[in-house]
Amino acid sequence: MKRVITTAASFATAALLVVGCTPGSSGDSGSSDSKSFEFWSFTGIDQKTDVEAYKKKHPDINIKLTEVGSTSETAQALTAALAGGKVPDLVLIQGDDLPKFMQSPDNFMDLSTLGADKMRGDYLDWVMKQSTAEDGKIIGVPTDVGGMAVVYRTDLFKAAGLPTDRDQVSKLWPTWDAFAQVGKQYVQATGKPFLDNTPTSVFFQAVNQGTERYYDAERKLSYDKNPQVKAAFDLTLKVYESGISAKITSWSPGWTAGMSKGDFAAMSAPAWMLNAIKTNAPDTAGKWDVATIPGGSGNWGGSYLAIPKRAKNPKAAWDYIAEMQSPEGQLNNFLSKGNLPTTPSVYTDPRLLERTEPFFSNAPIGKIYTESVVNIKPFYIGPEDATIGSELLNTLTSVEQGKVEPANAWNTALTNVKNALRG
Amino acid sequence: MLSPAAAPKATARPTRNRRIQQGLRERLAPYVYVAPFFLLFFVFGLFPLLFTFYVALFDWDPIGERRYVGLANFAELVDDPRFWGALRNTFSIWVLSTVPQLLLALGVAHMLNHVRLRAATLFRMSMLVPYVTSVAATTIVFAQLFDRDYGMLNWFLGLLGFPHVDFTASVWGSHIMIAVMVAWRWTGYNTLLYLASLQTVPRELFEAAAVDGANGWNQFRHITIPALRPIIVFTVVTSTIGGLQIFTEPLLANPVGGLTCGAARQCQTLTLFLYEQAFGRFHFGYGAAVGVALFVMVVIVAAINYLLVTRIRSERP
Repeated sequence: MKRVITTAASFATAALLVVGCTPGSSGDSGSSDSKSFEFWSFTGIDQKTDVEAYKKKHPDINIKLTEVGSTSETAQALTAALAGGKVPDLVLIQGDDLPKFMQSPDNFMDLSTLGADKMRGDYLDWVMKQSTAEDGKIIGVPTDVGGMAVVYRTDLFKAAGLPTDRDQVSKLWPTWDAFAQVGKQYVQATGKPFLDNTPTSVFFQAVNQGTERYYDAERKLSYDKNPQVKAAFDLTLKVYESGISAKITSWSPGWTAGMSKGDFAAMSAPAWMLNAIKTNAPDTAGKWDVATIPGGSGNWGGSYLAIPKRAKNPKAAWDYIAEMQSPEGQLNNFLSKGNLPTTPSVYTDPRLLERTEPFFSNAPIGKIYTESVVNIKPFYIGPEDATIGSELLNTLTSVEQGKVEPANAWNTALTNVKNALRG
Repeated sequence: MLSPAAAPKATARPTRNRRIQQGLRERLAPYVYVAPFFLLFFVFGLFPLLFTFYVALFDWDPIGERRYVGLANFAELVDDPRFWGALRNTFSIWVLSTVPQLLLALGVAHMLNHVRLRAATLFRMSMLVPYVTSVAATTIVFAQLFDRDYGMLNWFLGLLGFPHVDFTASVWGSHIMIAVMVAWRWTGYNTLLYLASLQTVPRELFEAAAVDGANGWNQFRHITIPALRPIIVFTVVTSTIGGLQIFTEPLLANPVGGLTCGAARQCQTLTLFLYEQAFGRFHFGYGAAVGVALFVMVVIVAAINYLLVTRIRSERP
């Protein structure tokens, strides 16, 4: 019975969201004084530190920070709010959710009218492009990027007779093919799998290293025609068939367990993953190190701050962005919280270069991760990118789970994407 | 409406008026008492239901454009293998969870009803523990039990010399996993329903049967089951309606693939598909169309149930 009630309640909630869509029902409550504003963030990124720091400097400003939920829950809440509820003055949007909102840029303030046009040069070009609408409106200011690297277990590498020094290890795999070779060596020496899985650790990275992804330069869907996508897909199948994968899907219960038990010796990891490894596998402290990603560049993750058009106090929200997301502000966040700055001017700052991570054998994470994001080529990321990406990834996961033959994988993937793009 | 009664007057007319007023009041009062429920029902039940039908006719982006498309969403749905897959998963998980669950509940209720059971209250109350445990917590624990590499179940299989089974990756494995979670949660609840109904059965019936030499199975077969028939029908209906709407378990049991319950959507139920479309991709119109399809299915099941119940009632004097 409870089940029925719960479901009924969720349907009712869903309907309420829809009800909110009727024109003219815009919320009219909220603070109107210029000294306070409301800020929606998601959990796990710790905006509290920034907010506290800002409040300390500006005791007259009152910031109401709400951690709505996960990144996608926050995006859902924002969608409902934009559709007719009470909107926050400032909202943090995860990079993967941004393209959906970029489709209807009129829901947001054009930040260039507030001064973002003067700041845009401070940020990485390809990051800024993603939050700039076709007509030049700036919807979001980037707060951080993921960057990419490979983390590996020095103890397991040593046991397999591989070098353990991070510079030497990085030299082992300038390309993904070389990476697969190292993996094979490891498997031969130890009889154990080398990599956590191929869909996330290979495909998800390699597909981002091209000059175009699922849309072409005219912003038309081209996932089925772009040779770079097919190449990344085939590469993943090839690495899978070389037998180095532990076939443990990312984020599954076995994945975190495998991390601490040494079931695999290497995995691709963006900067924010380092915290996840520390939390999931605390016993492995000092056994990891960080090497460059094959292909040299890559990014996974990153977020943007945006101001909804109906915000009550856009000025206060903008002042916050301007101060906390300045190069200096982002550097401070990196030094205390580890979120990678999007402002290349601080990439040579000695404080960033000297930042090391004891859990990862004192790897200079600031240096390694920033180097992975400076050479990224900007390509258009459209509203269907997340859907296409997850369908391709899921098909490759099915291959690893033995449910799809590698020979049929590409056709299966195209069918799945086509189905997913309907509706 | 219910103002204090007018002061009594000597004349006949006001008395008659008062009587009419009182009669009216007595007739109105029940409606007023039930009004809160119906008001809430209209706002949170009926209106969303009707509005869902309306939204299903649109290509509806909550923050962008909405375009009237008629029945195109439904045409698309019929043509969508993901919808049929979700339908198959829903029914398969429903059968796998409901049938063993109700059979088990019947047996347990029969045993708990036994006269000589010690600490009966303890056993009866403990049946409710899975029910009051958070679904999310249950789901996460069970997902770990079924894990390929470190799950307890596979550890046992390993001890017995069998290879590990990747439950979440396969269709049947993931369905069984979710069915176990559902059954775990609802068996106790149904047991208590059966037990409550069983306790209205005169004990003398069982005693007389025992004197006549009926063993436990015969008593169960010829007394317990016939006595419980109406409540069995009731539980079949509620677990069917609930079973068609399983959501939390597939959402959390297999985080691989986001909202799809696995890389190949192997355990994505209709409600999860609805959620993926409406709130994962913001295709409200398409999601609403899935909701309408689900509604139709629940209505059909409820109608079958109604026929069954009336038949059973007419069979009994």
